[in-house]
Amino acid sequence: MNQSLRNGLRAGTIFSIVIIFLVMIGFLLTISELIHDMLGGVFVPGEGSIPGLLIVLTLLGLWGGAMGAKRQEPDTWKRAILGGFTSGLLCGFIVATFAVIMGIINEKGIDLRPYLTQMSSTAIDFMLLGQGTLLGALLNLGLLALTGAIGGILARGLGRGSWRVSFAQRRENAGHSISSLPVFKQVRNNRYAQYLPYALVLMVTLLMPLYLGQYWNFTLGTVGIYVLMGLGLNIVVGMAGLLDLGYVAFFAVGAYTMGLMTSPQPLGIMWNFWIILPMAVLFAALTGFLLGIPVLRLRGDYLAIVTLGFGEIIRVLLKSDALTQFTGGPQGVRDISGPILFGRPFSNERDFMYLIILGIMLVIFVTIRLQNSRVGRTWIAMREDETVARAMGIDTYRSKLLAFAIGAAFAGLGGLLFASRNQYTGPEDHNLLVSINVLCLVIVGGMGSIPGVIVGAFALKGLPEILRQISDYRILAFGALLVVMMILRPEGLWPSKRRSLEVRHFEEESPPQTVSQESTSVAVASGSSTSIDAPPSTDISQKGRGIE
Amino acid sequence: MEDSASPRMRMPLDTYRIAQVILGILFVVFVSWRLFEVLKSGVYGPDTWLRFAISGLIVGAVYAVIAIGYTLVYGILFMINFAHGEVMMMGAFSGYFVFEALKTWVVDPSNNLNFLNAHPILSIILAFLAGMTVSTVAGIYLERIAYRPLRNAPRLVPLISAIGASIFLQNAAQLIFSPQRRNYTNPSILERGNGWTVLVNNSKVIITYTGVFTFVLSILLLIGLFILVQRTRFGRAMRAVAENKQTAALMGINVDGVISATFAISGTLAGAAGVMWGIHNGIIYHFIGFIPGIKAFTAAVLGGIGNIPGAMLGGMFLGIIESIGPAALGIDFQLKDVIAFSILVLVLIFRPSGLLGEVLTEEKI
Repeated sequence: MNQSLRNGLRAGTIFSIVIIFLVMIGFLLTISELIHDMLGGVFVPGEGSIPGLLIVLTLLGLWGGAMGAKRQEPDTWKRAILGGFTSGLLCGFIVATFAVIMGIINEKGIDLRPYLTQMSSTAIDFMLLGQGTLLGALLNLGLLALTGAIGGILARGLGRGSWRVSFAQRRENAGHSISSLPVFKQVRNNRYAQYLPYALVLMVTLLMPLYLGQYWNFTLGTVGIYVLMGLGLNIVVGMAGLLDLGYVAFFAVGAYTMGLMTSPQPLGIMWNFWIILPMAVLFAALTGFLLGIPVLRLRGDYLAIVTLGFGEIIRVLLKSDALTQFTGGPQGVRDISGPILFGRPFSNERDFMYLIILGIMLVIFVTIRLQNSRVGRTWIAMREDETVARAMGIDTYRSKLLAFAIGAAFAGLGGLLFASRNQYTGPEDHNLLVSINVLCLVIVGGMGSIPGVIVGAFALKGLPEILRQISDYRILAFGALLVVMMILRPEGLWPSKRRSLEVRHFEEESPPQTVSQESTSVAVASGSSTSIDAPPSTDISQKGRGIE
Repeated sequence: MEDSASPRMRMPLDTYRIAQVILGILFVVFVSWRLFEVLKSGVYGPDTWLRFAISGLIVGAVYAVIAIGYTLVYGILFMINFAHGEVMMMGAFSGYFVFEALKTWVVDPSNNLNFLNAHPILSIILAFLAGMTVSTVAGIYLERIAYRPLRNAPRLVPLISAIGASIFLQNAAQLIFSPQRRNYTNPSILERGNGWTVLVNNSKVIITYTGVFTFVLSILLLIGLFILVQRTRFGRAMRAVAENKQTAALMGINVDGVISATFAISGTLAGAAGVMWGIHNGIIYHFIGFIPGIKAFTAAVLGGIGNIPGAMLGGMFLGIIESIGPAALGIDFQLKDVIAFSILVLVLIFRPSGLLGEVLTEEKI
């Protein structure tokens, strides 16, 4: 009894803090409008939508209740409801208190906005569900307490039911069962079949820009440039294990080389794009090499800070008035002339999209070749254990330099495409956020994994474009995502096989494997409902193991 | 990082050695050339140099206080607490809100006297209390949420988590408080720009009250911390944990508790530093924690990371160099940050163990 109370209180506190935080950053207002928009209602923008808020609060309350009803022995309904209800009640109480305070301040006519920007009068009214201070707070309290209790019930009823176990099992076996159908076996035995998915992806990528408008080509082009940079950083961070926080420096080198050499503004050199292209890439690689020489002896954390410093130095230097005649200063470089191919200038986003796709394909090819080469194995060995790698006779310093230079070259390619597409580049294009974005997408996607980088780029750069309303919260979400990913899924969304094996191995070492035993026993005990799926699936999984 | 003996033994022509020598020569030549030029031209008289030195010393004291936080955490967990600067920023904001609240509280309507000016010392104490409390709590929860689950993970993992926490806190502050820059309202006794005047070379050099206040308070905090670590039972436990966690645990020390307390102490110091930063510099916004954070880390490395007197010395040293540097080299004052980062790089290249640091074992560095 005590235990469930304590669980409930803890979950309630956490969720109340989360809700108050979401109110203070104005997220609840924005998301409620987004939900309302999705459901197709009419509302006044900027004032929030109360039905949307009710939905969000209900979901949060259910979640909080489910958290409060954490599993414990003996697992009874009473305990689950008590935990969920306590959680909801406490959460509702704290939120309601906050709402009352805000409501009273609002009624007194004090404007909070100079201090807390989001707490405008409309936002406070919105939080009080438009019902006045006392009633609004009570409604908040009631809603959260009720949903908390329901959440507890749901957690007990659904969360621990037999379907969950069988679902997890089915998910595990899904790969085996689909791939072991006779049709697939035939396809798989065909020598060329393994290229089929790649060919499909390639076809879609090549045809897609034709059917997209300017806006989407531009957006996807940005995503593509981030994929390029991500693939470069993937080599540095994902394969070689060097945490580089100043990756934007190489991006800037590429962009500025292209900008300065093809623009009339500060230097007046107007060379052809195609001559500058390899030059800029090589120059970026050289910069990476030169920066690498002094810093790559440093251990991980120091390297992170030093590269961070380098990234900032480059930006400050580009921005400084002292170098204006060489770099264009804070104004940046304008009128960068784009590439011309067979007498046809690249004028619209589609042309650049193809250029970017070409670049990505080249980079992916290089990465794959590197990954499976001696060099790639050296990097991975180094990432896993530097001391051991050195003992195996690897010249770690040289391989690190190589990784750094190659990563820098890719970033340079991204940078020059970026500058040339925008026809402009300035110091603010090269701030710390770019480095962090790229690092995030590599980590979220999965370190060392090429598809992971692409997935990460789409998730982190593409999604915010689609969900324009909540793009203000993008960077906040990145920060939270980094922490959460590190705690829950350090191998990333789409990990490379080797990496996920390593991480699993690392996790399995410590806790004894009680979970799997438990789940099998539940599956056996749960009887008829799962018996339809269970026997064949285990059968297949055994077969699968036998084949491998 | 390797110990300096091995490359010499391995190869006569080591790339790293060559780079080191070339960089060293370039650095010395550049600095002496610029210094010579500047001194010859005589742009700055002794009064100006004194001004630079004083401002450097004050900023350096604040850096030292922040740097202690990095060093303490690094000494125990061997990780860079990237979000430390943000903890400082939270302290600065808390102090700001206390001052703002006290400013609106009119205690004597006849003179239109508000609490802030009626009880300045009490107000300052309240602001520091608020700043330090908020930062302490932030430090403790930062560790509990973002670092504790990753205690035994590979070293890159907590670092990335720390970066994430830093970004999160920064943007949360931006969203809650808006990116606008705010003026720190000081009590009138600590009005910025007021101070004692010293005549040097027939021109006035002002030693501001806020500067002296900041400097003295920083030194007091540093002394307090030194006593805490060196002379108390808790300090001994902390040093034991820094030495070896397993053994410390066997000796009956609550390792998790000590780590939590370390984050609390570093948070307290960061909070105080934040309020001092606000009082002295006068402008705060969500980004103020970032650059001082990195510089304080530089200071910690400069003095030898994990070494408390080193962090103090490094902070002062960095503050002075950063303040005098642009003038001494005759370069743009915008490039102040470049100098600080260059120092970090140079220290890491030529003396990674820092000014006071001893050579650490492979496990620790």
